[in-house]
Amino acid sequence: MIVGYVFTGAIIIASLIIQGHDSFDVLKVAGAKPDLLFIAVVFFGYNFGSFYGEVTGFIAGLLHDAVSNAPLGLLTFPKMVIGFAVGMFGRSVLRENLATVFLLMLAASIVKGIIMIFLCYIFDSASVSSRAGIIIPESLYNAILAPFLFPLYNKIFEREIEREGN
Amino acid sequence: MAFIGFTLFCLVSLTMKTSTPIVSIEGLGNLFVMPFQKGYDGLQGGVHRFWAGFTELGELRDELQRTRQKLMKYEAIAEELGEIKKENERLRAVIQMKERIEYESIPAIVISRDPDNWFRTIILNRGSSDGVKVNMPVVAYHGEEKAIIGKIIEVRGSVSRVLPIVAPDMKLGVMLQGSRFPGLLKGLSSGSNLCIMDYVSKSVLVKFGDVVVTSGQGGIFPAGLLIGKVLKAEIMEASAYQRAIVTPIIDYNRIEDVFIIKKEPDNEFMELLKSAEE
Repeated sequence: MIVGYVFTGAIIIASLIIQGHDSFDVLKVAGAKPDLLFIAVVFFGYNFGSFYGEVTGFIAGLLHDAVSNAPLGLLTFPKMVIGFAVGMFGRSVLRENLATVFLLMLAASIVKGIIMIFLCYIFDSASVSSRAGIIIPESLYNAILAPFLFPLYNKIFEREIEREGN
Repeated sequence: MAFIGFTLFCLVSLTMKTSTPIVSIEGLGNLFVMPFQKGYDGLQGGVHRFWAGFTELGELRDELQRTRQKLMKYEAIAEELGEIKKENERLRAVIQMKERIEYESIPAIVISRDPDNWFRTIILNRGSSDGVKVNMPVVAYHGEEKAIIGKIIEVRGSVSRVLPIVAPDMKLGVMLQGSRFPGLLKGLSSGSNLCIMDYVSKSVLVKFGDVVVTSGQGGIFPAGLLIGKVLKAEIMEASAYQRAIVTPIIDYNRIEDVFIIKKEPDNEFMELLKSAEE
């Protein structure tokens, strides 16, 4: 599983670098770019269970907070919660196919958005209404991208997924 | 168990951020994230240079050609400006007008942007070692026009973070260049590249194409710097004011080379800010 941890770390760091690079903003549609880090967290929760999902969600969220202007914890909490929640269902409940991945990612992203809005409302001074418009385009973008990224990650974690017995 | 621990960490961290803690958890957090942030910014700088090596070579030749042509043009303008400057000084002396302050600037390039959709900041390759300080204004050129990009909100050794004018968190005093009516500018929304100019008097006719410039109020931005042009005005029945949607002169997505103006905020403003925080 050590190789799996290394790949997990590599995917998290790579996602963060790609997302933060100024060329990535070219992919913006309706003001939103896909959250690659979040897609990776959902993948880990889905394939390796709630504990792995919440830990990777927590670490990925902390790193995301570190390089973003967000207060520490604001991007961490939704990722950790979603990583945990997706892990509760996982492969054992939802069979992986195009539609499942799309719907899972759409639902997960919308819930993440709602948690973010809730946290922004309580802890951040900027107006919530100016941020609410991001949820739908970002969720759709994540959902459209996930069916392409999941098979790629499946290939990378082929052995680990087999070992998990999925 | 881990879930409860992580949740508590997030909530305590967020609560501490919004209150006045005795022991700053943000400071402890920074202790943990700072090395990563430094590494990340360094890595982004490397990726930026590596990527630029592929993409910019072709553009460089064209850019050089354009720059040579511009240089010739500016040399001619410089001679003309010398005369105008002398005349301006003479006229200012006649009407006893205060001399306009010229600020030095630090050239910088954008090395990365906020990696999520919720917060909009830009990371520049200049930091405290270059003399950059918090609240310094950042401008960029669009053709020959100099326009405001945002202000510095965080400074590290060799990098700094800019809050752009399109961010909803940003607020700055502006005015309509033609009518001189003031207003308050802020980002329209997290996903938009437009701004909104609020609290504009209903007595002024705001129309498409009106130029918006900084008013100089607030003590951070010098007065008269370009912001953008009015896209449309919105008059709301319930409000005593009207508001205008403003398109920034500089497209947020195309910001690459910028200049940090070495202007520190007015003391009066900083004292006001401190007293408000207390």
